Amino acid sequence: MRYIIIVGCGKTGRSLALELSKTENVVVLDRSIKAMDVLGDDFNGKKIWGDGLDLSVLEEAGLSDADALYLLTNNDNLNLVIGKVAKRKYGTRNVILQVNDIVKKRIFQEEGLTIVNRNYLIVEVLRKCIG
Amino acid sequence: MYIVIVGAGRLGLVLAKQLQGEKHQVCLIDKNEGLCNKLARESKGILIIFGDATYPEVLKEAKIEKADVCVAATSQDEDNIIVCNLAKELFEVRRTVARVNDPKHLQLYKYMQVDNPVDSTSIIAQVVEEEASFKDVMSLLSIKKGRLSIVRIDIPEGSPVVNKTLKEIKLPANSVLVSILRGPDIIVPSGATKIYPNDEIIAATLIDVKNDLIKTLIGKI
Repeated sequence: MRYIIIVGCGKTGRSLALELSKTENVVVLDRSIKAMDVLGDDFNGKKIWGDGLDLSVLEEAGLSDADALYLLTNNDNLNLVIGKVAKRKYGTRNVILQVNDIVKKRIFQEEGLTIVNRNYLIVEVLRKCIG
Repeated sequence: MYIVIVGAGRLGLVLAKQLQGEKHQVCLIDKNEGLCNKLARESKGILIIFGDATYPEVLKEAKIEKADVCVAATSQDEDNIIVCNLAKELFEVRRTVARVNDPKHLQLYKYMQVDNPVDSTSIIAQVVEEEASFKDVMSLLSIKKGRLSIVRIDIPEGSPVVNKTLKEIKLPANSVLVSILRGPDIIVPSGATKIYPNDEIIAATLIDVKNDLIKTLIGKI
Protein backbone atom coordinates (compact mmCIF):
# COMPACT_ATOMS: atom_id res chain seq x y z
CA MET A 1 0.00 0.00 0.00
CA ARG A 2 1.30 3.42 -0.91
CA TYR A 3 1.17 6.33 1.50
CA ILE A 4 -0.79 9.26 0.08
CA ILE A 5 -1.53 12.72 1.45
CA ILE A 6 -4.38 14.82 0.10
CA VAL A 7 -4.53 18.50 1.06
CA GLY A 8 -7.92 20.13 0.51
CA CYS A 9 -11.13 18.22 1.00
CA GLY A 10 -13.42 19.89 -1.51
CA LYS A 11 -15.36 17.98 -4.15
CA THR A 12 -12.26 16.75 -5.95
CA GLY A 13 -10.30 15.99 -2.81
CA ARG A 14 -13.19 14.09 -1.31
CA SER A 15 -13.83 11.94 -4.38
CA LEU A 16 -10.16 11.16 -4.77
CA ALA A 17 -9.78 10.31 -1.08
CA LEU A 18 -12.73 7.91 -1.14
CA GLU A 19 -11.46 6.26 -4.30
CA LEU A 20 -7.82 5.90 -3.27
CA SER A 21 -8.57 4.79 0.28
CA LYS A 22 -9.97 1.53 -1.09
CA THR A 23 -6.50 0.41 -2.04
CA GLU A 24 -4.00 2.84 -0.52
CA ASN A 25 -3.06 4.36 2.80
CA VAL A 26 -4.65 7.83 2.67
CA VAL A 27 -4.36 10.92 4.89
CA VAL A 28 -6.63 13.91 4.23
CA LEU A 29 -5.71 17.36 5.53
CA ASP A 30 -8.00 20.38 5.61
CA ARG A 31 -8.37 23.67 7.48
CA SER A 32 -12.01 22.89 8.08
CA ILE A 33 -13.28 19.95 10.13
CA LYS A 34 -16.65 20.26 8.45
CA ALA A 35 -15.15 19.79 5.01
CA MET A 36 -13.78 16.45 6.15
CA ASP A 37 -17.09 15.34 7.66
CA VAL A 38 -18.43 14.84 4.15
CA LEU A 39 -16.02 11.93 3.74
CA GLY A 40 -18.54 9.93 5.72
CA ASP A 41 -18.17 6.50 7.29
CA ASP A 42 -16.98 4.79 4.13
CA PHE A 43 -13.67 6.63 4.25
CA ASN A 44 -10.98 4.23 5.31
CA GLY A 45 -8.16 6.64 6.13
CA LYS A 46 -6.88 9.29 8.47
CA LYS A 47 -8.12 12.87 8.77
CA ILE A 48 -5.94 15.73 9.98
CA TRP A 49 -7.42 19.09 10.82
CA GLY A 50 -4.79 21.76 10.25
CA ASP A 51 -3.03 24.37 8.21
CA GLY A 52 -1.08 22.98 5.26
CA LEU A 53 1.20 26.01 5.21
CA ASP A 54 2.50 24.99 8.62
CA LEU A 55 5.38 22.61 7.96
CA SER A 56 4.97 20.93 11.34
CA VAL A 57 1.42 19.95 10.33
CA LEU A 58 2.67 18.49 7.06
CA GLU A 59 5.32 16.58 8.96
CA GLU A 60 2.71 15.27 11.36
CA ALA A 61 0.78 14.10 8.31
CA GLY A 62 3.89 12.10 7.39
CA LEU A 63 5.14 14.06 4.41
CA SER A 64 8.66 12.65 4.77
CA ASP A 65 7.32 9.13 4.14
CA ALA A 66 4.67 9.97 1.56
CA ASP A 67 4.71 8.35 -1.87
CA ALA A 68 2.44 11.04 -3.24
CA LEU A 69 1.12 14.44 -2.25
CA TYR A 70 -2.03 15.81 -3.86
CA LEU A 71 -2.71 19.54 -3.44
CA LEU A 72 -6.35 20.14 -4.25
CA THR A 73 -7.42 23.27 -2.38
CA ASN A 74 -9.16 25.94 -4.43
CA ASN A 75 -6.29 28.32 -3.70
CA ASP A 76 -3.72 28.18 -6.53
CA ASN A 77 -1.06 30.05 -4.60
CA LEU A 78 -1.35 27.78 -1.60
CA ASN A 79 -1.13 24.66 -3.76
CA LEU A 80 1.95 26.03 -5.52
CA VAL A 81 3.78 27.06 -2.36
CA ILE A 82 3.21 23.74 -0.57
CA GLY A 83 4.02 21.79 -3.74
CA LYS A 84 7.35 23.50 -4.22
CA VAL A 85 8.38 23.11 -0.61
CA ALA A 86 7.41 19.43 -0.61
CA LYS A 87 9.62 18.89 -3.63
CA ARG A 88 12.54 21.00 -2.43
CA LYS A 89 12.67 20.19 1.24
CA TYR A 90 11.14 16.74 1.53
CA GLY A 91 11.92 15.40 -1.94
CA THR A 92 8.41 13.95 -2.18
CA ARG A 93 8.40 11.69 -5.23
CA ASN A 94 4.99 12.52 -6.69
CA VAL A 95 3.60 15.99 -6.17
CA ILE A 96 0.35 16.62 -7.99
CA LEU A 97 -1.32 19.97 -7.73
CA GLN A 98 -4.41 21.60 -9.05
CA VAL A 99 -3.82 25.07 -10.49
CA ASN A 100 -6.81 26.82 -11.98
CA ASP A 101 -4.94 29.59 -13.70
CA ILE A 102 -3.19 28.62 -16.91
CA VAL A 103 -0.59 31.43 -16.65
CA LYS A 104 0.52 30.22 -13.25
CA LYS A 105 0.57 26.65 -14.47
CA ARG A 106 3.08 27.69 -17.14
CA ILE A 107 5.28 29.81 -14.88
CA PHE A 108 5.56 27.46 -11.96
CA GLN A 109 5.91 24.27 -13.92
CA GLU A 110 9.11 22.62 -12.81
CA GLU A 111 10.65 19.23 -12.81
CA GLY A 112 8.84 16.75 -10.61
CA LEU A 113 5.65 18.78 -10.18
CA THR A 114 2.56 17.56 -11.99
CA ILE A 115 0.32 20.56 -12.45
CA VAL A 116 -3.26 19.79 -13.39
CA ASN A 117 -5.56 22.41 -14.87
CA ARG A 118 -9.22 21.53 -14.71
CA ASN A 119 -10.33 23.75 -17.55
CA TYR A 120 -7.62 22.46 -19.87
CA LEU A 121 -8.68 18.87 -19.16
CA ILE A 122 -12.34 19.54 -19.82
CA VAL A 123 -11.56 21.32 -23.06
CA GLU A 124 -9.45 18.36 -24.16
CA VAL A 125 -12.29 15.95 -23.43
CA LEU A 126 -14.87 18.13 -25.12
CA ARG A 127 -12.69 18.47 -28.18
CA LYS A 128 -12.33 14.71 -28.45
CA CYS A 129 -16.10 14.28 -28.30
CA ILE A 130 -16.41 15.21 -31.94
CA GLY A 131 -13.59 12.91 -32.90
CA MET B 1 14.83 54.04 -5.02
CA TYR B 2 11.78 52.57 -6.70
CA ILE B 3 9.78 50.37 -4.36
CA VAL B 4 6.77 48.23 -5.20
CA ILE B 5 4.50 47.37 -2.29
CA VAL B 6 1.84 44.69 -2.64
CA GLY B 7 -1.12 44.95 -0.29
CA ALA B 8 -2.57 48.30 0.75
CA GLY B 9 -3.66 47.26 4.20
CA ARG B 10 -2.54 49.12 7.30
CA LEU B 11 1.09 48.05 6.94
CA GLY B 12 1.33 48.61 3.18
CA LEU B 13 -0.21 52.04 3.39
CA VAL B 14 1.87 53.30 6.31
CA LEU B 15 4.99 51.98 4.66
CA ALA B 16 4.14 53.61 1.33
CA LYS B 17 3.61 57.00 2.94
CA GLN B 18 6.76 56.70 5.00
CA LEU B 19 8.86 55.80 1.97
CA GLN B 20 7.27 58.54 -0.09
CA GLY B 21 8.19 60.98 2.67
CA GLU B 22 11.78 59.82 2.32
CA LYS B 23 11.60 60.78 -1.38
CA HIS B 24 11.43 57.26 -2.74
CA GLN B 25 9.24 56.40 -5.70
CA VAL B 26 6.48 54.14 -4.51
CA CYS B 27 3.95 51.93 -6.26
CA LEU B 28 1.15 50.28 -4.28
CA ILE B 29 -0.80 47.30 -5.63
CA ASP B 30 -4.04 45.96 -4.13
CA LYS B 31 -6.82 43.68 -5.32
CA ASN B 32 -9.60 45.69 -3.71
CA GLU B 33 -10.94 48.00 -6.42
CA GLY B 34 -12.86 50.33 -4.12
CA LEU B 35 -9.83 50.81 -1.92
CA CYS B 36 -7.62 51.51 -4.93
CA ASN B 37 -10.02 54.17 -6.23
CA LYS B 38 -10.08 55.83 -2.85
CA LEU B 39 -6.30 55.74 -2.53
CA ALA B 40 -5.83 57.06 -6.06
CA ARG B 41 -7.89 60.11 -5.10
CA GLU B 42 -6.24 60.65 -1.74
CA SER B 43 -2.62 59.65 -2.13
CA LYS B 44 -0.81 62.08 -4.37
CA GLY B 45 2.53 60.94 -5.67
CA ILE B 46 2.01 57.23 -5.02
CA LEU B 47 1.26 55.09 -8.05
CA ILE B 48 -1.80 52.96 -7.26
CA ILE B 49 -2.49 49.80 -9.25
CA PHE B 50 -5.60 47.67 -8.93
CA GLY B 51 -5.03 43.98 -9.44
CA ASP B 52 -3.96 40.62 -8.04
CA ALA B 53 -0.19 40.83 -7.84
CA THR B 54 0.19 37.06 -7.88
CA TYR B 55 -0.41 37.43 -11.64
CA PRO B 56 2.69 38.50 -13.57
CA GLU B 57 0.84 40.95 -15.81
CA VAL B 58 -0.14 43.01 -12.77
CA LEU B 59 3.46 43.16 -11.60
CA LYS B 60 4.46 44.12 -15.12
CA GLU B 61 2.00 47.00 -15.06
CA ALA B 62 3.76 48.20 -11.93
CA LYS B 63 7.06 48.11 -13.86
CA ILE B 64 8.44 45.84 -11.21
CA GLU B 65 11.48 45.03 -13.33
CA LYS B 66 12.68 48.55 -12.48
CA ALA B 67 12.09 48.13 -8.76
CA ASP B 68 14.98 48.03 -6.31
CA VAL B 69 12.82 46.33 -3.71
CA CYS B 70 9.54 44.43 -3.75
CA VAL B 71 7.61 44.35 -0.49
CA ALA B 72 4.82 41.78 -0.14
CA ALA B 73 2.54 42.96 2.67
CA THR B 74 -0.76 41.18 2.10
CA SER B 75 -2.50 39.24 4.85
CA GLN B 76 -2.11 35.94 2.97
CA ASP B 77 1.24 34.24 3.40
CA GLU B 78 0.87 32.09 0.28
CA ASP B 79 0.23 35.22 -1.80
CA ASN B 80 3.24 37.01 -0.31
CA ILE B 81 5.49 34.09 -1.16
CA ILE B 82 4.21 33.82 -4.73
CA VAL B 83 4.64 37.59 -5.25
CA CYS B 84 8.24 37.46 -4.02
CA ASN B 85 8.98 34.40 -6.17
CA LEU B 86 7.59 36.07 -9.29
CA ALA B 87 9.43 39.31 -8.57
CA LYS B 88 12.69 37.47 -8.15
CA GLU B 89 12.51 34.77 -10.80
CA LEU B 90 10.57 36.48 -13.55
CA PHE B 91 11.53 40.12 -13.11
CA GLU B 92 14.92 39.80 -11.41
CA VAL B 93 14.12 42.17 -8.56
CA ARG B 94 17.19 42.21 -6.36
CA ARG B 95 15.58 42.31 -2.96
CA THR B 96 12.30 40.90 -1.71
CA VAL B 97 10.82 41.66 1.68
CA ALA B 98 7.64 40.09 3.03
CA ARG B 99 5.38 40.37 5.99
CA VAL B 100 4.96 37.01 7.72
CA ASN B 101 1.38 36.87 8.99
CA ASP B 102 1.51 33.60 10.90
CA PRO B 103 4.85 32.85 12.63
CA LYS B 104 4.20 29.17 11.88
CA HIS B 105 4.68 29.97 8.20
CA LEU B 106 8.14 31.55 8.66
CA GLN B 107 9.91 28.32 7.68
CA LEU B 108 8.05 28.30 4.41
CA TYR B 109 9.27 31.80 3.52
CA LYS B 110 12.82 30.63 4.09
CA TYR B 111 12.49 27.57 1.88
CA MET B 112 10.86 29.66 -0.81
CA GLN B 113 13.83 32.03 -0.82
CA VAL B 114 12.19 35.25 0.25
CA ASP B 115 15.16 37.51 1.07
CA ASN B 116 13.76 39.22 4.15
CA PRO B 117 10.74 37.67 5.81
CA VAL B 118 9.64 39.97 8.63
CA ASP B 119 7.82 38.11 11.36
CA SER B 120 5.94 41.06 12.84
CA THR B 121 3.98 38.96 15.34
CA SER B 122 7.12 37.60 16.99
CA ILE B 123 8.79 41.00 16.98
CA ILE B 124 5.78 42.61 18.67
CA ALA B 125 5.47 39.73 21.13
CA GLN B 126 9.08 40.27 22.12
CA VAL B 127 8.57 43.99 22.64
CA VAL B 128 5.40 43.41 24.66
CA GLU B 129 7.13 40.80 26.77
CA GLU B 130 9.93 43.21 27.56
CA GLU B 131 7.54 46.00 28.45
CA ALA B 132 5.63 43.67 30.70
CA SER B 133 8.44 41.91 32.50
CA PHE B 134 11.03 44.56 33.32
CA LYS B 135 10.22 47.69 35.22
CA ASP B 136 13.72 49.07 35.32
CA VAL B 137 14.62 48.19 31.75
CA MET B 138 13.01 49.40 28.58
CA SER B 139 13.95 48.51 25.05
CA LEU B 140 13.99 51.70 23.00
CA LEU B 141 15.08 50.48 19.62
CA SER B 142 15.92 47.22 17.88
CA ILE B 143 18.30 47.13 14.96
CA LYS B 144 19.09 44.25 12.60
CA LYS B 145 16.00 42.26 13.54
CA GLY B 146 16.65 42.75 17.23
CA ARG B 147 20.28 41.68 17.29
CA LEU B 148 21.38 45.13 18.42
CA SER B 149 19.28 46.76 21.08
CA ILE B 150 19.23 50.28 22.48
CA VAL B 151 17.89 50.11 26.04
CA ARG B 152 17.08 52.40 28.91
CA ILE B 153 18.02 51.10 32.33
CA ASP B 154 16.97 52.86 35.56
CA ILE B 155 19.54 52.56 38.31
CA PRO B 156 17.93 51.54 41.62
CA GLU B 157 19.24 52.53 45.06
CA GLY B 158 20.79 49.15 45.75
CA SER B 159 22.53 48.73 42.41
CA PRO B 160 26.11 47.42 42.58
CA VAL B 161 27.33 50.24 40.34
CA VAL B 162 26.07 53.14 42.46
CA ASN B 163 28.82 55.65 43.32
CA LYS B 164 31.26 53.94 41.01
CA THR B 165 32.97 55.56 38.05
CA LEU B 166 32.59 53.97 34.65
CA LYS B 167 36.26 53.03 34.75
CA GLU B 168 35.56 50.88 37.79
CA ILE B 169 32.62 49.08 36.21
CA LYS B 170 33.32 46.05 34.07
CA LEU B 171 30.68 45.97 31.33
CA PRO B 172 30.16 42.84 29.27
CA ALA B 173 31.88 42.87 25.88
CA ASN B 174 29.70 44.15 23.02
CA SER B 175 27.83 46.63 25.16
CA VAL B 176 28.41 50.31 25.68
CA LEU B 177 26.86 53.10 27.75
CA VAL B 178 25.74 55.88 25.44
CA SER B 179 24.48 58.47 27.87
CA ILE B 180 23.17 59.10 31.35
CA LEU B 181 19.96 61.02 31.97
CA ARG B 182 20.08 62.65 35.39
CA GLY B 183 17.12 64.88 36.16
CA PRO B 184 17.17 67.55 33.46
CA ASP B 185 20.77 66.82 32.44
CA ILE B 186 21.97 64.63 29.63
CA ILE B 187 25.49 63.40 30.29
CA VAL B 188 27.72 61.82 27.68
CA PRO B 189 29.84 59.71 29.99
CA SER B 190 33.59 59.36 30.20
CA GLY B 191 35.65 56.99 32.34
CA ALA B 192 35.49 59.41 35.26
CA THR B 193 31.70 59.77 35.23
CA LYS B 194 30.06 58.44 38.39
CA ILE B 195 26.74 56.66 38.48
CA TYR B 196 24.11 57.68 41.04
CA PRO B 197 20.79 56.15 42.09
CA ASN B 198 17.87 57.09 39.82
CA ASP B 199 20.16 57.73 36.87
CA GLU B 200 18.62 56.60 33.63
CA ILE B 201 21.21 54.96 31.48
CA ILE B 202 20.94 54.63 27.73
CA ALA B 203 23.02 51.73 26.49
CA ALA B 204 23.60 49.92 23.23
CA THR B 205 24.06 46.17 23.48
CA LEU B 206 24.09 43.05 21.38
CA ILE B 207 21.10 40.93 22.26
CA ASP B 208 23.10 37.97 23.59
CA VAL B 209 24.78 40.08 26.29
CA LYS B 210 21.76 42.21 27.13
CA ASN B 211 20.92 40.24 30.25
CA ASP B 212 24.55 40.38 31.41
CA LEU B 213 24.47 44.15 31.00
CA ILE B 214 21.26 44.43 33.03
CA LYS B 215 22.74 42.22 35.72
CA THR B 216 25.88 44.34 35.89
CA LEU B 217 23.95 47.59 36.20
CA ILE B 218 21.07 46.67 38.50
CA GLY B 219 22.33 43.50 40.14
CA LYS B 220 19.47 41.24 39.01
CA ILE B 221 17.44 40.41 35.95
